[in-house]
Amino acid sequence: MTTVPAVPATPGAPAAPPSTPSSTAAGGRPLRPSRPDAGPARLLGRGLGYAAMVLAAAVILLPFAWMVISSLKNNNQVFTVPVQWVPDPVVWQNYVDIWSRSDMTTWLKNTLVLSVAVTFLQVVTGSFAAYGFSKMHFPGRDVLFLAYVGTIAVPWQSYMIPQFIMLSNAGLSNTLWSIMALQAFSAFGVFLMRQYFETIPDSLCEAARIDGMSEYGIWRRIMLPLSVPAIASLTLLTFVNTWNDYLGPLIYLRSPELWTVQLGLKTFIGQYNAEHALIMTGSVLSVLPIALIFMLGQRYFVEGIATTGVKG
Amino acid sequence: MKRTIPTALGASAAVALALTACSGGGDAAGGGEPADGPVTLTLAGWSLASTPEFQTIADAYSAENPDVTVEVVEYPAGNDYDTALVADLAAGTAPDVYIIKNLKNYLTFQTGNQLLDISDVAADLDPATGGLEHYEVEDGGTYAVPYRQDSWVLFYNQDLFEQAGVAVPDGSWTWDDYAQAARDLTAAFTAEGSSAVGTYQHNWQSTLQGFALAQAPGADLFGGDYSWLAPYYERSLALQEEGAQTDYGTITTNSLTYQAQFGTQQAAMLPMGTWYAATLITQQESGEADDFAWGVAPIPQHDSSTTGTDATPVTFGDPTGMGINPAIDDAKVEAAKDFVRFAVGEGGAQALAEIGITPALLNDAVLDAYLGLEGMPTDELSRFAFQEHDTKPENPVAPETAAVQNILNDAHSAIMSGSVSVEDGLAEAENRVASEVGIG
Amino acid sequence: MATIAVDERPPAGARGPGGPPGRSSRRRPGSRLKRRNTLIGWSFILPNFVGFAVLTLVPVITLFYLSLTSWNVFGAAEWVGLDNFARLLRDGSYHTALTNTVYYAAFHIPLTLAASLGLALLLNRKLRGVAFFRTVAFFPYITSIVAIAVVWNMLFSPEFGPVNQFLGALGVENPPGWTTSADWSMPAVILVSIWRDMGYYMLLFLAGLQTVPAELYEAARMDGANGWQRFWNVTIPCLRPTTFFITVMLTIQSFKVFDLILVMTNGGPGQSTLVLSQYIYAKGFVENQFGYASAVAVSLFLICILITIFQFLWNKRRDA
Repeated sequence: MTTVPAVPATPGAPAAPPSTPSSTAAGGRPLRPSRPDAGPARLLGRGLGYAAMVLAAAVILLPFAWMVISSLKNNNQVFTVPVQWVPDPVVWQNYVDIWSRSDMTTWLKNTLVLSVAVTFLQVVTGSFAAYGFSKMHFPGRDVLFLAYVGTIAVPWQSYMIPQFIMLSNAGLSNTLWSIMALQAFSAFGVFLMRQYFETIPDSLCEAARIDGMSEYGIWRRIMLPLSVPAIASLTLLTFVNTWNDYLGPLIYLRSPELWTVQLGLKTFIGQYNAEHALIMTGSVLSVLPIALIFMLGQRYFVEGIATTGVKG
Repeated sequence: MKRTIPTALGASAAVALALTACSGGGDAAGGGEPADGPVTLTLAGWSLASTPEFQTIADAYSAENPDVTVEVVEYPAGNDYDTALVADLAAGTAPDVYIIKNLKNYLTFQTGNQLLDISDVAADLDPATGGLEHYEVEDGGTYAVPYRQDSWVLFYNQDLFEQAGVAVPDGSWTWDDYAQAARDLTAAFTAEGSSAVGTYQHNWQSTLQGFALAQAPGADLFGGDYSWLAPYYERSLALQEEGAQTDYGTITTNSLTYQAQFGTQQAAMLPMGTWYAATLITQQESGEADDFAWGVAPIPQHDSSTTGTDATPVTFGDPTGMGINPAIDDAKVEAAKDFVRFAVGEGGAQALAEIGITPALLNDAVLDAYLGLEGMPTDELSRFAFQEHDTKPENPVAPETAAVQNILNDAHSAIMSGSVSVEDGLAEAENRVASEVGIG
Repeated sequence: MATIAVDERPPAGARGPGGPPGRSSRRRPGSRLKRRNTLIGWSFILPNFVGFAVLTLVPVITLFYLSLTSWNVFGAAEWVGLDNFARLLRDGSYHTALTNTVYYAAFHIPLTLAASLGLALLLNRKLRGVAFFRTVAFFPYITSIVAIAVVWNMLFSPEFGPVNQFLGALGVENPPGWTTSADWSMPAVILVSIWRDMGYYMLLFLAGLQTVPAELYEAARMDGANGWQRFWNVTIPCLRPTTFFITVMLTIQSFKVFDLILVMTNGGPGQSTLVLSQYIYAKGFVENQFGYASAVAVSLFLICILITIFQFLWNKRRDA
């Protein structure tokens, strides 16, 4: 590298073969998008890289594949020694039965309502509070923040009974409101957004203040647009956690018309018997919407969204 | 911040007060005038779609008492039932009548004033009701009554026995006879090139410790000495070693189910609770289980003193009880007691037997209904096995039961997985019981 | 510009309504400003704080109270002072659970951190199909935990499992018993939870990586920095608030680990994978000793909070 006179136009041209991890791992920057001189070695490297990633993907997806396979079996074929990877016969009936034999539609609807409501409240109130914790300075701020983070360290199952007694006395148990209340104000969202706001320079807020913008305006017009990636990750994580939550609905939701998917699927487990194939069918159906939402949401993790604003 | 901490403390104190206050309703027992007109009772049950027993009892009762509607409140099955029910009881939102699913929790509910004294109901019951005596507590009161009692028997696959040329159980078996049969069966299967094994012992603690506790001389859950478990472990480990019994590690790592192993003829014998009979019939009908002839024999005995059809075989099984929530409306107490009396008595027992559940009250009429079900084995020994048994509780009612059983459960997984020797595993359990429960 | 962009906070005493007036500024306009500032600050925090205080803080403080009582969930909570904590010191199972939890955390935290950062760097590029690979990486986190436990147990099966068959093919003579062995169950659980959690933390790292200003990389390139140097001198410092957040969360979540272990090994064989959260659940919901369970929870809280405060201080020092 040192002996070859570097062409100034390609300062980042790596001396090492392009497939070495160090050149790609450097901050995960995209490789120059259009490089006309892509040699065969480069293509080979890229091909090998893809092959490795596809292989890794297959291994990572194995449990999901097992879920799909099990959903196409009879009950007594789900757990066998050795594992039967090809269902025989293929039981498509499970995908019919789950709709006719259970209230899957209601469960999905409830789960969706809860996930959307919780996510919305969490993102709005969390980012709002995070602004206070990050960009405002007032006495007691740090102690209060530590109290927020501290409660994360207390396992929920240790205080869920006192909490349940409280919410029951307030008449909220056995309503969807209880789950919304429970999940929407968690310290996690505040912490996540606050840390992200910390990376946005105060100079931007200063400038806006000088321009006469109110603090609320700064939150709305500067901080939010600049933190799209953080909002995206908070949205996805909150959504998934609410969608897959089991213990909360278990304690709070008694009426079948309020059940979520995770709770409803448990009705296939009886005292002495469990319909494993149907449970897996339901689990597959339950994963698909989240996978779709993730596919759509992940495009907000594109470099540039956050930094363009800073440049201006 | 300065203001919020005291506020929060104040609110917490209020919650704490509520915690102490909301349990005071325990002594409303018995009082109140019976309500006129229609009454609606609520009953806690679990997984209604796959567990029809609650709705069956409720419907049978309403048919005789049109004034009373029994609404079943659905909880999830398994341990989650207790978790959710405890939360509801603590918050005062639990149903009027509830099932005490695990005998070991009975005392917790009773000492926590979550059960009404129903000694008067108990006095009306047939004394032959299985497991009734376990619900009488130290003060002489009875706070719950059993409506069903499963006991453990030996299921066997007649076709596989025949095919292997091994004599089917005749009621005279000790555990050594059982082990020998398992070996002979396995040898025959292996010779035929089949992968089936002699017996399947599910990975639960009960499948081994339950028998030892019921049968072994000197067995005492609260004695602090657990050497009576050793012969049972040694026998089971030997069978496992020889391949005559499905390996414990294979069962756990492959999440094997006993329904599939026995139902698809991977094992010729299965020690299991009587509840499995109804499941097996259903699965044979639906095609999930193979179509084969099966029978039920008394569980093998510790020694020959309790074997043979002229003796009463000793086995184990916990009754499932039903009790009344003291938070119930006073006006509904009489209706609730009447419902419980019905559920545990002849009427409830008949209704349960007709859907393949073994009620706690198992007289001849009820047994006829039960064995008359399509698909039930009809031989004499099966009838004997269902009817005659001295059923000991797996979880005797005592304050230490849950703690001791947890420790023994750890010992079970450690020993069966081969992580420790039988001797070391039991010694460790004895130490822990001594230091954590204070016994021995 | 580039250097300002990574500045996290102006030093204390900076001007503007947001700046905290230092100890020296006791002048009247300052204090009015301060009051106004406090009010605005609270107005931001309040909507979330009301919900948080009522629904989380109050029950948590109640829990602290309960840890000083003997409470069986029904009936009165009887004050016993520090008895529960004295019992903790003597309780062998508690010590086992604590040791196991520390064992788990000691491996789970650094390995998950490295795996998720690696994944985020790998998938923060404009390569074809990146959406697919990101989704795949996140999939373990959304897959049913029961399916995860079942499949991994199967893979780890000592006799028939692919993992040991693979090890056997590599010439390993005595492959471990994994979840059926007291010595190997914890490593097995740690491996599976890294696999499960890496997508989750990858997502947080991905968000953080978007804050690294492109100019810094350009500048570093101009200075002739190689990939490793750019990673070490640009990416890592810019990621610090994110890394801090992830480390704190990961630490707490590791110490609180519960459901995966419950379904995978249920604490066994023996007590080899018994962890604190599970012990809390067992003492509370199985043995109905909620007072004692609360004391275990408080001890877990204290451990986490001590580590968190240490992390906060360390982070502050790095900021300065």
